[in-house]
Amino acid sequence: MIPPDRSSLIERARGAVETLARWMNAAAGWMFVFCAFFITAEVLARNFLGVTTQSTTELSAYMLAFGIAWSLAHTLAERGHVRIDVFVNKLPARWQRVLHLVALALMLVFGIALAYGGVFLALESFEFRATDMTGIRTPLVIPQGLWAFGIAVFALLAFLLLVELVVRLARGDGEAVDRRMSSRTYEEEAREVLEAIGDVPAGTPGARR
Amino acid sequence: MIAVVFLGLLVIVMGIAAATGVSTGPMPIAELVMLVALFCLFFGAGVHIAAVLGILALLIGFAFSDRPFWLAIGQITWAPSANFILVAIPLFLLMGEIMLRAGLSEKLYRSLNVFLARLPGGLLHTNIIACGVFSAVSGSSVATAATMGSVALPYFRNTSYDPRMVLGSLAAGGALGNLIPPGITFILYGLLTDTSVGKLYLAALGPSLLVMVLFLAVIFWHGLRRNRAQAASAGAAAPVAQAPSQSLARTLLDLVPTILLIGMVLGTIYAGLATPTESAAFGVVGAVVFALIERRLSWRMLHESAIATARTTAMIGLIVLAAFLLNYILTSIEVPQKLARLVSELPIPPWAIMLLIIGFYIALGTFMEGFSMIITTIPVIFPVVKALGYDPIWFGVIVTMLVEIALISPPDGTVLYVLQGMRADRGSIVDIFWGVMPFLTVYIAAVVILLWLPEIALWLPRLAG
Repeated sequence: MIPPDRSSLIERARGAVETLARWMNAAAGWMFVFCAFFITAEVLARNFLGVTTQSTTELSAYMLAFGIAWSLAHTLAERGHVRIDVFVNKLPARWQRVLHLVALALMLVFGIALAYGGVFLALESFEFRATDMTGIRTPLVIPQGLWAFGIAVFALLAFLLLVELVVRLARGDGEAVDRRMSSRTYEEEAREVLEAIGDVPAGTPGARR
Repeated sequence: MIAVVFLGLLVIVMGIAAATGVSTGPMPIAELVMLVALFCLFFGAGVHIAAVLGILALLIGFAFSDRPFWLAIGQITWAPSANFILVAIPLFLLMGEIMLRAGLSEKLYRSLNVFLARLPGGLLHTNIIACGVFSAVSGSSVATAATMGSVALPYFRNTSYDPRMVLGSLAAGGALGNLIPPGITFILYGLLTDTSVGKLYLAALGPSLLVMVLFLAVIFWHGLRRNRAQAASAGAAAPVAQAPSQSLARTLLDLVPTILLIGMVLGTIYAGLATPTESAAFGVVGAVVFALIERRLSWRMLHESAIATARTTAMIGLIVLAAFLLNYILTSIEVPQKLARLVSELPIPPWAIMLLIIGFYIALGTFMEGFSMIITTIPVIFPVVKALGYDPIWFGVIVTMLVEIALISPPDGTVLYVLQGMRADRGSIVDIFWGVMPFLTVYIAAVVILLWLPEIALWLPRLAG
């Protein structure tokens, strides 16, 4: 997207965090696949073998916390977080871009608050050696630490993206802001669904099997 | 536009309420009005919904709370992050993504066709039933409409079916996505209001049947009235031409995996054998097996399903975290409690307030996506509804129906635009607006019936105890 000769330090940093975020998102997704098999195995074992870890509820809940936190940043990069853009879209492009950046800035503030809370909680659990109530006594710092890390990466990406886009807008590259910030349209959403079922793009009739 | 008018009306009603002096106890009215205004401003300016809720929580916290609430941010947001009930959401999403890529939609449509094409209204019935069945595993109305649209529309090419009815029935079918169990909306509602998701699923059964029957009746009536006999045979030519080669038994066999999967997921919940989260996990494993049988399973396909699931979960998850934060702070300064007391002491009968709430949701739904709408509004509206003496389970079903109605309401409904994007004939979107109207009308009628006869939703959960 950015020609290498023009990429500054901040852009390279943003690119690196985005790559990290993509891997984290994949990890989150596979964690859900694993979670499904884990719960199924646990239920089957409990009912037919009488064996249980007695901590499925907690462990799968930690998996969810991990899954949410680790996919936050990638979802931001992919413009997947929901906004209401009906009114924004009616404004002139210059105003739209300013509002895009305002939205990103507020997302950053919220991200920092969440990251602060997460890190604080994880450190507290570490300090007091807190564990859960299950048989395996998971030290809470592990799931909470992973969770806080995911949120921190999200806040970091919001920060880098914001700085980059502010600089670009100042240099007159407003299209970069449009590209990175305008909401996903239902067309994009529908196209993704069609790609998923391996269908031809809409509007090319008769190309079906 | 409907939304703006309605919100204006709501403000007037609140103004009258304040002027007649029903206010109970000290309530920082001016500040609250300012906050609501800020809320609308942020929303309108296109700030991410999660950020709007989160930032408001921080602002209110700093302005009104005398406790150092920021020390609790981690604890408050950890609770919904690591919540076993919520685990069901990514799992149901994952099941839907896998089924989507395993070619469920096309198979479903082709098989159902063989049975339904003979009725008056022909293929149109298939649209509704296939959408209904597909939505039972998908949970997303946009995905349902897009998928079924892509599968169904080619069948109608070069037939004399009224294109308005074709598109209208597909849109209507798409709007069943969240109502037919297991919908994700119910999981969110259950979490936010502390109601049993299993009971919500039971309660949704009657109303979803009601809506489906009404939809089929619309098509039946349309089919009889226009006497589509020869059109039906022409329209069904393509699938029927295949039908003899693949016997009826073979067609039935095609439907078995889908029926088994749905039976397993819903059956285990209804029989009380599994929690919704556990049955969602079975659903994922079942979907993987289904894909294996269909020879569509691959690492790549599973990977794509996984990352799509993670993205949607992050989107919903962030809003949930923000809503919990805001809800914690609002509750700590007693806003929902005071609002509930205020509304229940208004000189307006409960049903009128319920109608206002219904109008509010339809208005909101014209520009807001379903999940965000539920998460944002339920924490504040629910205490009011409870104070008015309405049943929480019943209200959950009503809200879900309203969200669905909003999705197919002209001129803003998202599903309508998804379908418009898939048309090959490049007609006007007005066709879809007209086509969906009869379905929209009966959907609203279903809500009204449910207002009159709450038992349609409530007898099953009551039977289950």
